[in-house]
Amino acid sequence: MMEETREVQGTWDLSTLKFRIEGVGLRRMLDGMKEGKLIGTKCHKCGTVYLPGPFNCRKCHIAINEPAEVSDHGEIMTFTIGYADVRGNPLEEPRVAPVVKLDGCDSWIMGVLQGVKPEDVHVGMRVKVQWAENLTGSLQDMAYYVPE
Amino acid sequence: MDNKVAIVGFRMAAAPDIEITRERLAFNLTRGLFDDLGIERDDVGTTIICSNDFLDGRTISNVFLDPHVGAYMKDESKVEMDGLNALAYAAMRILSGQYETALVASLGLTGSQASPYLHIEYTMDASYDRPMKLLNELAAAALQAKSYLAEHGYSEGLLDEVAAKDLANAAGNPNQARRMPGITAEQVAASAMYYEPLRELHCYPPTDGGCMMLLASEKKAGELCDKPVWILGMGRSTDNYYLGDRDLATSLSASQAAAKACEAAGIKDPAGEIDFAEISSLFAHQEPLFAEAMGLMESGKAPDAYRAGDTAINGRLPINPSGGPLGGHPISSTGLIRAAETVLQLRGEAGENQVTKADVALVHGQDGLCAQQSVVFVLGT
Ligand SMILES: [Zn+2]
Repeated sequence: MMEETREVQGTWDLSTLKFRIEGVGLRRMLDGMKEGKLIGTKCHKCGTVYLPGPFNCRKCHIAINEPAEVSDHGEIMTFTIGYADVRGNPLEEPRVAPVVKLDGCDSWIMGVLQGVKPEDVHVGMRVKVQWAENLTGSLQDMAYYVPE
Repeated sequence: MDNKVAIVGFRMAAAPDIEITRERLAFNLTRGLFDDLGIERDDVGTTIICSNDFLDGRTISNVFLDPHVGAYMKDESKVEMDGLNALAYAAMRILSGQYETALVASLGLTGSQASPYLHIEYTMDASYDRPMKLLNELAAAALQAKSYLAEHGYSEGLLDEVAAKDLANAAGNPNQARRMPGITAEQVAASAMYYEPLRELHCYPPTDGGCMMLLASEKKAGELCDKPVWILGMGRSTDNYYLGDRDLATSLSASQAAAKACEAAGIKDPAGEIDFAEISSLFAHQEPLFAEAMGLMESGKAPDAYRAGDTAINGRLPINPSGGPLGGHPISSTGLIRAAETVLQLRGEAGENQVTKADVALVHGQDGLCAQQSVVFVLGT
């Protein structure tokens, strides 16, 4: 370190920050998951289906609130296989993380893929949601993807 | 200014707790503005989002606000300062000739979701001011207040009079967050002491809110509204960062920004030619301090001016007829709200707070500790 440079200890405390998040689309999705269903929101003007559903359509700039069930089957649009965490520490097992376009939905949703060797995963591969044994209405209900 | 830029419409909101998400606030205000003007998002040439990453809890926070202000897949840029800076940016984009319309979308939620003082705390010098823990936004404002009062030999009663005038104006303004009908200088003087000489009611209240404003070129303005308000001049100035290198008894940033804006507008005697002013005084002492610095009030005569009612809604040169930031300070939006309130006055639509003569007005915005930066606009019909 150069003689002119010094280090001082500082803090960056954001503990007083709160977030308020949109609840309608997320609540609709979680309620559906209790029944093993995926419910998004459809724009009544342009037909775009979002999951989880937002309160407005980004294309039309209008408020939307029409429930739309989407399939729990879909197609891998892209994927990555993680061998390390973001700081470079190796994972115990490689983790396959695809982004899936579920049938009838315009949004893509990321998750974990199991039941297939990393070298056999490919873009365009058909997969389906493996639901958790006990559905509780939480994001963990959609446990992981498996090959269709 | 040679080319003309008009303010053609706006929507604003402020409350102690707006009770919705920032995304929905952004959407509701822009959707409402588009409906007012009979336009859709495709009619907007460029959008300037003005918000504070620190308060939004996400860096580059415009990335999640884009869809809500109609800027999805469109020309959009960001200002991380007061909304009046965003207004200057948007006006310059129209003056470039590239755009016929520009939307300024500003919001800040410090009433319900983050401490309003936090982001200023983290503008402090990390090697001295932060570890010492002596300086914060309120303490700095108090230092400025004391310096200003001492410079002119004013009593602390001036602060009570300023605050009582502003809070009474705010009570009559449906767009304000802090509304205390019947407030008196005695009640202000009895409020809790924060940092001497500043009491609770001398300071802005934590506020949620936002303001969306559409600008248009001269050609487009006539199509969009019947009563365009014109930008006659604008100016900006930035003082030293370090408080110890500034004269806190006055505001160089305000005086220089105002001088530039007035020169552009062809105004030689602000006190004589400006009909009224909306000033971003976050603390009571800042209103006369900036008014003196900007040439709206004779230096050293502030107590006389307030006592004579010169700054009242029906006074010689009304200041903050809206109630000003003591009635609400949604960070990032405050200066833009001053502009919106000015437009209401210039259009004769300010209701019970309407001033009698409203042809030319001065609008002031600020950023940083003790208004390190000032932005001034001169607006007219
Ligand atoms: Zn749509």
